[in-house]
Amino acid sequence: MELLDTLREAVRDGRAPDAATRAELARVTDPAVLRRAGKTLAGLGSEVPGLRPFRVAVLCTGTIGPYEPILRATLVAAGLLPSIEPGRYKMFEMSLGSAEFGDPDLLSCLLDESYFLPPQWSATDIDGLGEYVAQRLVSLRSTVDAATDRSPATILLHTLPLPGTIRDAVISWRDRARLSRIWHQLNVELLALVDQNPQVAVLDLVSVLGDKAVAARDDRLHRYGDLPFSDGALALIADQTRRFAQAKAGLSRKVLALDLDNTLWGGVIGEVGAQGVQLGGLYPGNCYRQLQETVATLRDQGVVLVLASKNDADLVDRTLAEHPEAALRPEAFSARMVNWQPKAANLAAAADTLGLAVGSFVFMDDSPFERGQVASELPEVAILSAEGDPAHHIRTLVEHGWFDVLELTDTDRKRPELYRTKALRADFSSSFGSPADYLRALDIELTPAEATEFTVARIAQLAGRTNQFNLTGVRYDEATTAAQSVSPDHLVASFSVRDRFGDEGVVGAVWVDCGPDVWAVTNLVLSCRVLGRDVEIALAAWIAARARAAGASTVEGRFVPSGRNGVAADFWTRAGFQPTENDEIFRLGADDTVPAPDWVSVSERSEVHS
Amino acid sequence: MTTSTSVEQTVLDVLSQILDTTADELRAQPALASHDWDSFSSLEALAQLESALGVRFDLRSFNAAVTVHDVIALTQ
Repeated sequence: MELLDTLREAVRDGRAPDAATRAELARVTDPAVLRRAGKTLAGLGSEVPGLRPFRVAVLCTGTIGPYEPILRATLVAAGLLPSIEPGRYKMFEMSLGSAEFGDPDLLSCLLDESYFLPPQWSATDIDGLGEYVAQRLVSLRSTVDAATDRSPATILLHTLPLPGTIRDAVISWRDRARLSRIWHQLNVELLALVDQNPQVAVLDLVSVLGDKAVAARDDRLHRYGDLPFSDGALALIADQTRRFAQAKAGLSRKVLALDLDNTLWGGVIGEVGAQGVQLGGLYPGNCYRQLQETVATLRDQGVVLVLASKNDADLVDRTLAEHPEAALRPEAFSARMVNWQPKAANLAAAADTLGLAVGSFVFMDDSPFERGQVASELPEVAILSAEGDPAHHIRTLVEHGWFDVLELTDTDRKRPELYRTKALRADFSSSFGSPADYLRALDIELTPAEATEFTVARIAQLAGRTNQFNLTGVRYDEATTAAQSVSPDHLVASFSVRDRFGDEGVVGAVWVDCGPDVWAVTNLVLSCRVLGRDVEIALAAWIAARARAAGASTVEGRFVPSGRNGVAADFWTRAGFQPTENDEIFRLGADDTVPAPDWVSVSERSEVHS
Repeated sequence: MTTSTSVEQTVLDVLSQILDTTADELRAQPALASHDWDSFSSLEALAQLESALGVRFDLRSFNAAVTVHDVIALTQ
């Protein structure tokens, strides 16, 4: 009751529920509570500072029931401000094919077996049933293609459970197996849509329902109100939808900060020594070994690791390097904060070293004191408990999908190493007399390149994930970026940076409307890990040169404050642009020059569109 | 163990929240049709009461309930 009262207060005051309240809401699994929370949160306005607007359309082959309030509560818990537009009842196919859902950030489709099965079918003709299901799949695929031709929205589909009421009506074991095979094949084909249409995503509802042991359907409500899913199943669909929306909106986390004692191994190393910790072998040591392996898997996919442990640093380093069962060696961590300082201070220091916001951190620790201290000092950090039976730790770490991305890029894979070299770079800087000397010694090279089919995914990902150096907050998705990249009236370019410490990969992108006289930059994003080297000024100089080469006399830049992009507020003026009567627009005329830094060399790469 | 008084109070709390009224008003006017009772709100009440009380209703009986007292009787 207290949670719902807190939400009511926030709605009444027209403000976002605070981070602690949203974290509590995110832990709610009872769909009845989510329904009530969602109904309350419907009272939030269309603009609420601290929540990111996100438009969702919903189409269902039956009645959507309480999906809307459950989804709303789930999305607000993740820091989003959803506007949810349900489609018309019994109009699924027409609404989808004609794209009457408009231009949302996401179209959530709820499918049930009625879409794929004939009204009447014979259990003695399973082959005929298989052919019908295959035809319906072809029909769905072409309807989805028609929708994505008309709308840039991402369409989220799901796999379908085969209801027991249908499966168990087939009494022959052989035919029942063939029916199940047809259904599994249907789900395989649904999942394959992600490779056939880049605007399609698919959540595996069948495996999620099985994992959570939730009934897909309440037969009473299905018969009474054509509700294909139980409230519990809707809560699971909403949660998976939240994971996708969170990744698309750039709210996924980038950093995993981990405690050591009783988190990454069992026991307190200062008491039992390196040989005494539980790591590998039989239970419970196997739990810690497998947790380390899972953490290493996350790192392989780009999650930046930070060690946050109150311990003796030498002992920890030696144990990580030499323990035969350690899956995480010292170099796996981009920053190691092993000392006796409060953990909140250590996390803040790690964020500073890495150039990332603490809001991009997830912190896992077995100690309620340490978790409480971090929650109190840094409420934007997501906190996971490693208390209790270590058999549950892996599930605790991965089930929320904190680190989900829409698509993995090369830069993701390299990110942990990139941030480790960033920390090394900070050490190197202390040996120079002036900042400019240091920057010249770095041999920084900026490589601009027009977007290609190979870089569009990374560019769209940058638009989605970059919050600080994001000049207008416009998050161009992959479809729009791809369309602009081949349009003669637009320029979309990526920017790669390398220096003596390594290749940062694609770290920035720009979207430009190219008029005959005026080039207008509709957004420019840059990863914060390359800030402080004036790379962004070199980037502006390149845009200006391109505009002039094309005959445009003016380049127009825009800065729209988002509450999180203050680091970029003075970018246009630093780049030589003049303020205009419109506070958000800056202009570079024919007589203005961009003060390009002499320590950044620019080497353009052009690639052929295919 | 849930007492009949607390069950009654839970039913009143849930229904008053769904029907946007108060428990006192429901006591004074227990006919559900006097409030915003329709197929949508009745299904909402079904879900919330089953969750709050840990019971499972027969939908036919639940749909036949026309007063608050009928709903309370279904939970006994």
